[in-house]
Amino acid sequence: MTKHGLVIDQERCIGCQACAVSCKQENNVPMGQFWNRVLTEGGEKMDTPSGGYPEDGGSGSLDMQYQPTACQHCENAPCVKVCPVNATYTRDDGIVEIDYDKCIGCRYCMAACPYNARVFNWDEPEHMPEEGTGDVEARPQGVVEKCTFCSHRVDEGLDPACVVNCPADARIFGDLDDESSTVSKYIDKYETDQLLEDRGTDPNTYYISGEMSPGRPQTSDKMESELDDVSPWSDGDDDVPSKEADSAGGESSGSSHSVEGGEIPYATPAKSGGDD
Amino acid sequence: MAAKTGSSRVAIPSFGGKGKLWIGLLVALMAAGIAAWGYQLTTGLIATGMRNVFSWGLYIMMFVLFVGLSAGGLIISSAPKFFHSHRYEGFARLGVLVSLACIIVAGLLILPDIGRPGRIYQFFTSPDFRSPMVWDFGIVLLYGLLNLWYLWLLTRRDLAARGSALALGFKDTEAGRERDRTLMFWTAAVALPTAVALHSVTGWIFATQVGRGDWFSPLVAPVFIAKALVSGLGLLLVVSVLADRYTNFEVDREELTSLGKILGIFLAFHVVYLLAAERLPHAWADHFEFWAIMSNFLIGDSVYFWLWTVVGGAVPLAMLALPPLRKRVSVIFTASVLAVVGTMFEGIRLVFTGYEVANIDSAPGISLGGEYTGITTDIWATAGAYTPTLVEIAVTLGIIAFGAFIVTLGLKYVPIQRVDAEPSYATDGGKQDQ
Ligand code: SF4
Ligand code: SF4
Ligand code: SF4
Repeated sequence: MTKHGLVIDQERCIGCQACAVSCKQENNVPMGQFWNRVLTEGGEKMDTPSGGYPEDGGSGSLDMQYQPTACQHCENAPCVKVCPVNATYTRDDGIVEIDYDKCIGCRYCMAACPYNARVFNWDEPEHMPEEGTGDVEARPQGVVEKCTFCSHRVDEGLDPACVVNCPADARIFGDLDDESSTVSKYIDKYETDQLLEDRGTDPNTYYISGEMSPGRPQTSDKMESELDDVSPWSDGDDDVPSKEADSAGGESSGSSHSVEGGEIPYATPAKSGGDD
Repeated sequence: MAAKTGSSRVAIPSFGGKGKLWIGLLVALMAAGIAAWGYQLTTGLIATGMRNVFSWGLYIMMFVLFVGLSAGGLIISSAPKFFHSHRYEGFARLGVLVSLACIIVAGLLILPDIGRPGRIYQFFTSPDFRSPMVWDFGIVLLYGLLNLWYLWLLTRRDLAARGSALALGFKDTEAGRERDRTLMFWTAAVALPTAVALHSVTGWIFATQVGRGDWFSPLVAPVFIAKALVSGLGLLLVVSVLADRYTNFEVDREELTSLGKILGIFLAFHVVYLLAAERLPHAWADHFEFWAIMSNFLIGDSVYFWLWTVVGGAVPLAMLALPPLRKRVSVIFTASVLAVVGTMFEGIRLVFTGYEVANIDSAPGISLGGEYTGITTDIWATAGAYTPTLVEIAVTLGIIAFGAFIVTLGLKYVPIQRVDAEPSYATDGGKQDQ
């Protein structure tokens, strides 16, 4: 069995918001809504630390960390259990997804989700530009939506958009059921936490803090399991993971993109047109 | 000069001037409610005060209240029947009528809360039986039908005797009466556990949720039962005093006082005992010094808490406990109103405790999904805030007016009391015909 999971290395994360923005673009997330947010653990405001400066008698206790937060794809997902009409369900590969045709918009799942990962289309969703962005159909007014682990990409063997676009290689996507996958190895090797572990939701998203991992250098936008060499970076080798890396920077494939190919923040290599 | 046919009486033989004014008011409120709902349907739930952090509001708060309110009547009319007693007989039919109206209001309040009401059929085509909402949907439906059946069962002989079409062809015969008595016993036997299930399941909608603060507590279901007893009985007393005053419905003074006493006991159990049981362990575990424990135990956090415990708890309790006061109809009436209002604030408080605080509240927070002045100036919020909009209030009032309309029609068309069951000294004050 496959169980998709995400490891986020908070030591690597530089708080650049690239994942939040690429998520919004890839998934055509309406104005006023975010599926993925980069939170600042520290001060009161974004990008501010807690504690005091080391100078002028300050305590020198400045502390700050970023916590990118989207749907955690819980194993024991309360949102799935509360949905009265089976609109929210868990796929065989562990991804928690919403069938927008079924959703009645009761918002019980929003009450159930301890992470506030879900958003509701309170009015007619607005997109900028109007015809939308990315590769996912817009959701109507009156339904709940959230991160899908980019299931439309995963189904094509591609890593989620936020993973591919992380410039700090802080996001690692993979199969938690496969012991040789990078995610499994990192969870084993590094100090990892699940958010709000005490609630018993058992998220498939893990956060590394303490010692920094090597991350997963994104040399291709294919999922790790699609690559020929199995995660050489996880054991320190410098091997180039795949030939695809060479063609990076090629033309864009997204036919439904409304922006020019060159303006897309990442370029899809090989598989042109594969993400339609 | 009550309208009597055979041995039963309808409360409103015909609408007088005041009656027409009342109907006019209800119709106006319903029309405003429908217009407001229509507006909300076209603009979306953005017309409400709800946003992503605080995603349930007035509709759900009032749903909780009206589910509770629907308890009193059915219990007061079925509990004695179950024990083959004639106690509170004068309240039996009115009780079921009020219960029926309340459960209809509760059910209707869900509709405007749904983002896509057109898809509600999914409840039948694709239900997930793990969802407490599916359980609640089933039990509310069952409870509504049960009330309807019970009201008809209680009144069908009298309806037949009056030649009303509502008897649906039923004939009043000696054998039929015997059978009805058995049927009533069994209906009462089913009604009591159904009422318990209704309130427990509604409580479990909240009590099963790990992510919403105080909701996740095994006490919620018992508290919902206590709350239902308090508010349901309170409402029944309010309606019967009003009906006694403005219609031909007659309240037995002695039974009223006795029900007032029972309301006092319910209040004491609910607001004093259950609340203490809920708060003490937390206050004890979180604090060290004796006085810190005590003050945290006794002193609440929000204004809703005070509105509920003092205005809706301590004050009516005192009114119903003091011997010189508790026999007065006006005191019983006021105490009952306060008990209902207090329960309303308890429901409001419950929803607030779930949404006020976000579990993960780091900046910038949660996207709200639309601007909402009153929380922040941008789309982000790290805590929940909620004020209902006029649209929500209008829709809610419209639905409540519909409930009042049902009760009024019931008083007009359903023989609400048996005259022979009435002790002759029963009434309070002079009664005029409408
Ligand atoms: S994070 Fe929230 S929305 Fe995502 S699976 Fe868990 S409970 Fe559901
Ligand atoms: S809002 Fe939609 S997805 Fe969420 S519980 Fe209701 S029907 Fe299910
Ligand atoms: S996996 Fe896809 S949907 Fe989820 S946060 Fe990343 S980009 Fe957004």
